[in-house]
Amino acid sequence: MLAYLAIIFSAILANNIVFSQFLGICPFIGVSKNLESAFGMSMDVAFVMAVATAVTWLLQHYVLLPLGLVYVQTIAFILVIAVLVQMLEIIMKKTSPGLYSALGVFLPLITTNCAVLGVAIIVAQKDFGFLYSIVYAVSTALGFGLALSLFAGIREQLALAELPRSMRGVPIALITAGILAMAFMGFSGIC
Amino acid sequence: MKSNLANMVLSLTVLTVIVGAALAWVNNLTAEPIAQAKAQALADALSQVLPPFDNNPAETATRADGLKLYSATMSGEAAGFAVESYSDDGFGGRFEIVVGFDAKDAVYGYRVLSHAETPGLGAKMDTWFATMPHDIKGTSIPLAVKADGGEIDAITGATISSRAFLGAVNRARKALETYKNGLK
Amino acid sequence: MKALNVIYDGFIRRNPTFVLILGMCPTLGTTSSALTGLSMGLATMFVLICSNVAISMLKNLIPGKVRIPAFIVVIASFVTIVQMLMQAYVPALYASLGIFIPLIVVNCILLGRAEAFASKNSVGLSAADGLGTGLGFAAALTLLGAVREILGTGTVFGLQIYSSDFGALLFVLAPGAFIVLGLMIALFNRLYTNR
Repeated sequence: MLAYLAIIFSAILANNIVFSQFLGICPFIGVSKNLESAFGMSMDVAFVMAVATAVTWLLQHYVLLPLGLVYVQTIAFILVIAVLVQMLEIIMKKTSPGLYSALGVFLPLITTNCAVLGVAIIVAQKDFGFLYSIVYAVSTALGFGLALSLFAGIREQLALAELPRSMRGVPIALITAGILAMAFMGFSGIC
Repeated sequence: MKSNLANMVLSLTVLTVIVGAALAWVNNLTAEPIAQAKAQALADALSQVLPPFDNNPAETATRADGLKLYSATMSGEAAGFAVESYSDDGFGGRFEIVVGFDAKDAVYGYRVLSHAETPGLGAKMDTWFATMPHDIKGTSIPLAVKADGGEIDAITGATISSRAFLGAVNRARKALETYKNGLK
Repeated sequence: MKALNVIYDGFIRRNPTFVLILGMCPTLGTTSSALTGLSMGLATMFVLICSNVAISMLKNLIPGKVRIPAFIVVIASFVTIVQMLMQAYVPALYASLGIFIPLIVVNCILLGRAEAFASKNSVGLSAADGLGTGLGFAAALTLLGAVREILGTGTVFGLQIYSSDFGALLFVLAPGAFIVLGLMIALFNRLYTNR
C-alpha cells in the first residue's frame, strides 16, 4: 500500500512528467491557451495512457519477451498506440457523440504525444508489475493534467500582459514553465 | 497512388516484413557487441573498486537478498569482495552502487552505477566519499552521517542523498557478513 | 544549388527548434550538457536523413490512405537501428540519453518532414532537407546544452572555463532548461523574425 502511495505522490508532484521528466511538452505548450481545452486534453491523455500502458504491458510480457523480440519494442508500442487511438476515436464517435465533440478533437494529437509512448517504455524498462504499471500511468496522467491546468490558468492571465514582441507566445510560456518547474522541485525528496 | 484495400494491405505487409528482416539482421549483428559492452562495464567497475586480483570476479556472481556478490582472488588467496547494492531512499528515488571490500572486510572503493540525484548536489556522491576528510575507504563499521550521530560528513546541501548512500554501503556490508562463507 | 537552398531553409529559415518549435521534449530533456545535446542532435539527424531518403524512395509505392502508418514504421525501424548501434558501441552515451532515443519516433520533426517534404520530392533533395533540418536541430541542441553547461557548472564539453563553485546550478536543473530555451527563442525572434 505504501509503495502505491509513494508512486502516486511521486508521479503527480515530485517527478512530474512535464516539469521534471520533460515528456509531453508539445501539448503542454500547444493546448494550454485556455482552461477548457486543457481539461479536455488531460482527460484524453489519462484515458489513452492507462489503456495503452495496459495493452503494451501485456504485449511486452506475453509476446515480446517470450519470443525474444524485445528489439522490435519501439515499433510494436507505437503501432499499438496509434491503432488504439484510432479505435477510441471510432468508438467515441459511434457511442457518445457528445463526448466526442468535447474530447475528440485532441485524440489524433495523442499518437505523437511522447508522454504516452514514454510511460509505456519506462514501465517496460523498469519492469513494473501489472497493477503497479496502471497506477503509475494514471498518476502520471494526473500529474500531466495538473501541470496543463495550472499552466492554462496562468496563460489566460499572461495573454493580457504587455511584452516585447520577441518575448510573446512561446518564449514567455517557456520561462513561466521554468518558474513553475522551480516550484515543483520543492516536492522532490519528500518520498 | 490510389488506395484500395488490396494494395493498402499488401504494401503495409511487405513493408513490415522488410523492416522486420532488417531489424533482425541488425539485432544479430549487434547482439555480440552489446553483450561485450555490458560485460566490459561490469569488469571496469569491479577492477576499480577491488584490490588487485587475477581471477575473473564477474564469473563468481552470487545473488542474495536482491544484491549481487562477487569475490576476487590473487594467486588463489582471497583478495576482496564486491557487492552490488542499492538504496530506495535517494533524493531522486532508487540508485545503485557497487562497493568493494578488501580481504579484511574494510571498504576498499565504490562506484555509482546509476542514480537520479540532483546534479551538483547529491550527484557529487560519485567522488565525495572517496576524498578526504570524508573518505570511507578503510572503514569497517556501519556508517552514518554526523547529523545522525555518525562520523561521516554529509555532502554539503545533500544530507538525504548522503544518508541513502551510506545506507546502501551498510546494506552491502551486512550482505557480505551474512553470505561471505557461501561465496564461490 | 537548389540542394544548398534546401539545406539553408532547414537550418535557419525553418529551424525546427527556434522557428517551428518542434521536438521540445528532447530539446529540454537532453541538454544538461553540450555533449549530450550534440549526441541527441546527431542521433536525430541520422534518423531524419535515413527516413527522408527511404520515404522519398517509397513515395510512389505507398497508397495515400496508409501513408502515415507506413511512415511511422519506417521511422521507428531506423530509430531501433540507432538504438542497437548506440547500445553496442557507445553504451555510456546511450545510458545518459536514456528514454529519449526510443522517443525519437514521436518527434514531430520526423513525421512532419516526411509528410511535408520527403513524400513529394526527389531522393537527393529529401536527403538535403534531412541534412539541413537535422543540422539545425543538432546545432540548436548543442548551443542550448553549451549555454546551460557554462552557466550551471562553468564547463563546456567538459572543459573548465571558470570554477564550478560560481556556477548557478539552476541552469543544469529542470527549470533552467525551460528558462534558457525561452530566452534563446526570444533572441532568435529578435535576430531573424521581427527585425
